[in-house]
Amino acid sequence: MITTSIMNRFAATLTLSALLYAATASAAAGDAARDQAFKDQRSTARFLSQATFGPTPGDINQLRGSSASEWFQAQLALPPTYLMPIFEEYAERAEESESDDEFDLLANEGATFGFWRNAVSAPDQLRQRMAFALSELLVVSNGGGEVLTDVPQAVTWYQDLLIEHAFGNYRELLEAVTYSPAMGYYLTYMGNERGDPATGRVPDENYAREIMQLFTIGVLELNLNGTPKRDSDGQPIETYSNADVTGLARVFTGLNLDERFYDVEEDADALAYSTPMAIFPESHSERPKQFLGTTIPANTPAAESIDAALDHLFAHPNVGPFVGRQIIQRFTSSSPNKGYVKRVAQAFNRGSYRLPDGSQVGTGQRGDLAATLAAVLFDPQARKPKGKAAGKVREPILRFTHWARAFRVQQVTPEYNWQLWDTSGPGMLGQHPYRAQSVFNFFRPGYVAPGTETGKRGLTVPELQIVNASSVPGYTNFMTGFVFAWQQYEDIEELQEEYDEEGIGLDASRVVTSFLPNYRSELSRAEDADALLRRLDLLLTHGQLSSATRNAVKEAINAIPVYDEESLDYRVKFAILMIMTSPDYLVLR
Amino acid sequence: MTISRRHFLKLSANSLAGASLGGMSLALSGIRAQAADTSGYKALVGVFLFGGMDNHDTIIPHDSSSYQRWASIRQSMVNSMGASRARDNLLPLTNPGGFGSRRFALPSEMAGLHRLFESGAASIVGNVGPLIEPTDRSSFDAESVRLPPRLFSHNDQQATWMAGAPEGASFGWAGLFADAAQQAGANPGAAFSTITTGGADLLITGRDTAPYQVGEEGAAQAYILEDLEGDLGEAMRRHFAATGFRPGNLLRRDIADKLHASYDANEQYNLATQSGGGASTAFPPTPLGQQLAAVANAIAVREQLGVSRQIFTAAMGGFDTHSAQARDLPMLQQELADAVEAFYQAMTELGLEQDVTLFTTSDFGRTLAINGDGTDHGWAAHHFIVGGAVQGGQIFGDIPEADFDHPQDAGGGRLIPTMSVEQFAAPMGAWFGLSEGELASALPNLRNFDAGPNLFT
Repeated sequence: MITTSIMNRFAATLTLSALLYAATASAAAGDAARDQAFKDQRSTARFLSQATFGPTPGDINQLRGSSASEWFQAQLALPPTYLMPIFEEYAERAEESESDDEFDLLANEGATFGFWRNAVSAPDQLRQRMAFALSELLVVSNGGGEVLTDVPQAVTWYQDLLIEHAFGNYRELLEAVTYSPAMGYYLTYMGNERGDPATGRVPDENYAREIMQLFTIGVLELNLNGTPKRDSDGQPIETYSNADVTGLARVFTGLNLDERFYDVEEDADALAYSTPMAIFPESHSERPKQFLGTTIPANTPAAESIDAALDHLFAHPNVGPFVGRQIIQRFTSSSPNKGYVKRVAQAFNRGSYRLPDGSQVGTGQRGDLAATLAAVLFDPQARKPKGKAAGKVREPILRFTHWARAFRVQQVTPEYNWQLWDTSGPGMLGQHPYRAQSVFNFFRPGYVAPGTETGKRGLTVPELQIVNASSVPGYTNFMTGFVFAWQQYEDIEELQEEYDEEGIGLDASRVVTSFLPNYRSELSRAEDADALLRRLDLLLTHGQLSSATRNAVKEAINAIPVYDEESLDYRVKFAILMIMTSPDYLVLR
Repeated sequence: MTISRRHFLKLSANSLAGASLGGMSLALSGIRAQAADTSGYKALVGVFLFGGMDNHDTIIPHDSSSYQRWASIRQSMVNSMGASRARDNLLPLTNPGGFGSRRFALPSEMAGLHRLFESGAASIVGNVGPLIEPTDRSSFDAESVRLPPRLFSHNDQQATWMAGAPEGASFGWAGLFADAAQQAGANPGAAFSTITTGGADLLITGRDTAPYQVGEEGAAQAYILEDLEGDLGEAMRRHFAATGFRPGNLLRRDIADKLHASYDANEQYNLATQSGGGASTAFPPTPLGQQLAAVANAIAVREQLGVSRQIFTAAMGGFDTHSAQARDLPMLQQELADAVEAFYQAMTELGLEQDVTLFTTSDFGRTLAINGDGTDHGWAAHHFIVGGAVQGGQIFGDIPEADFDHPQDAGGGRLIPTMSVEQFAAPMGAWFGLSEGELASALPNLRNFDAGPNLFT
């Protein structure tokens, strides 16, 4: 046994290279044991289901046997695929069309179409998934039918901020979000005026409240493992009072759209909404801004006030567990256990994470999102989960993108699939990218479903908040249309007339091949139910298909006698629909 | 002098059951001591106004001096609303009494609710909101009372209104009402005891009752099953019914249970509605109009479903008017008032206006102070209760003055409630048929307050 003094002396004389060597050596030892994510086809499919918008057959084959750490590092290094160029492509096409309607439908859904395209086919899958997760934490929505709907550049530009900062630092992301016109409009502090004692006018408190409650610290003091701290009476401790909200509200005054565009440009809104908001000093509160135990002195200008306020919020020890737990929920676990949250919060606080191959992720600065994400995906509880409540209910959007990637849709032209224009309704996916009903997202991170097994144990399962008697058949119907490729039966002539009437410059003949699945590999196995199930089990449930579902699928497809190509085709389609509506699939574990 | 609820109960137990007591209600009279009364048919319909409806811009002061004060505090907003908030264009409420020379009006967009009020089919419940115990400005400032946690926060106050606790609460008071009725044998099963058209599920979630979500077109079904026959059809039906699926993983088990329950309920609901028989009343083509039409259709098939007690929720959003209130609120008020009026007409057409009571709820009221072109989160608010059984044309509770620094002002004109949510809910529970004991268990904090107002005739 090495004594403490010897260890100290030893440590003191260690050189940097020795440290590096030690790290590499132990990593090499850990390598075989820990970097097992891509060990075989099933584990590869599973990891990619967690980390991307779904595994493709090509990825599963190519990555099997390689290092997931290397894949992770390579993903970090890929250039971001942004939405704005895609939006501009649609806007240009809209201009070329003969429509004289100013409200152009195609351009208006540019962010939607961009999301579907990037989710299904962008190479920087990890970044896109992280940006999507952040879009469910730092929520803005283009569903309000107001400016954020009518000026599509606003949400497009905002989501590009999330894509840009997906592997950056949370503090910097908060600043970018704070100055973004989309958030300024959504949480109504764009044009927020300082108070006026004469008229009783006070600054709008909306952003001050939500940046604390939803974006940084939450309502209760947290331990590093995400559980609430208790006072001496055993009661949870609130993080802020209404006085803190009022004090912080003064910080977010004096921001508004950048005026310089409005004198010179025709489409000034489009430009102003894709530029940080400008500061209007005369509208910024000159009073002291007191909140959460700090005071920003009177007459501090807007930029310095915002900087100081964000620093103070970001320094709160809640941020790591509060943000970390939600990132976990979006990738791997609806109800992460304490240890998992703690390890991820530590990575957030440390700003670095060592991957199984020994390589480092992160800058070493607190709030590093790449390190946080690495900690989420490579944690033992993500790789080999323990406990009866492990796993995540797959979000409806992710189920659909998973299908599109698993069955290799070639023509990723969401504008030709009317269903993809708005998937919000319970008869659709009950979830649409960038279109939550409110800043509280599609579901709440703290949602505990009443009357359920998890509910009895007080476990959170946010995604169950949108599972109900309308959305269950709604999702089935949505998927049926895609799985069975019903777009093949669209009446092209009639559709073309509709397009022309609406002034949408689309060529209806492309509808039949848009998001058309390629089931060739599955068809080749369709005569043998077991072979087909093996294939689908790998692509969809990474080897976790239960015998109950397996038997149900076999029973159904064996009821389809094989006598021609069409019957094989039906076997494949029924099998996919059944698996994708089974509990085995709906929970990613 | 107010009489404490405990005192009141003691009195009523001794000698006063069925009598009225100095204007104080006997909301609990006529209720069987043990189990809920489930005779006949009764339904409650909650309309949740998400975002926090501005009480100050809904029940508007109308006597000259109060109106002037209100309009001067909100000058820029009132100006941008123009004719809509001009005193002459407001819809005056026939003197409901109890407010001296003060008078009130509804905005012109709420003509539908105004007609119901004036015809005796609707009343207003004033200054109601979450409390733990009676609270006023001095006890609030001195922090000498227990307060509901996280006042002024959307999700937490929504949950507090629905379930008496902030986000994370499991059971809503109306869900517990439904449980009590169910335990007394109101319905053949709990599947249709509570029904939502989307939103406010917590309010109608009980220990035994989970809300059934019905679409505007009725129950949703998997299209794929429509033309499937034979072995394949049977196999697919069994699959979607998800029976006998007991996975070890709890999430998978929960999902399996939800698949199963949804399939069963949709089948039953569709079977019931096949016989037709909805109301012919035209509903406005607005989201709330269509939701209340779906509620009316569900009520129309109550006999096919075999139910005698039901609670519904419908919801509309957009009331978080931090900004552009002058543009947005009047439209929302119009949507609300028109849809509610159509719903009352539909109930009248079905002969059920005495048996169905609709009420509004919201996250909170809003500040009287304005922030430029909007208002911020408040606390107490004023709500509507509508139905033939309601004592109509009344303002129950209080409407504090539209001014600052009065005993109900928590700052900025955020109103401290003078009536708790429990006091608002209890008379509805009693009307619904709950016994005193059942009410006390569904509304545990009720014991801290006087009896609620006598909302029903």
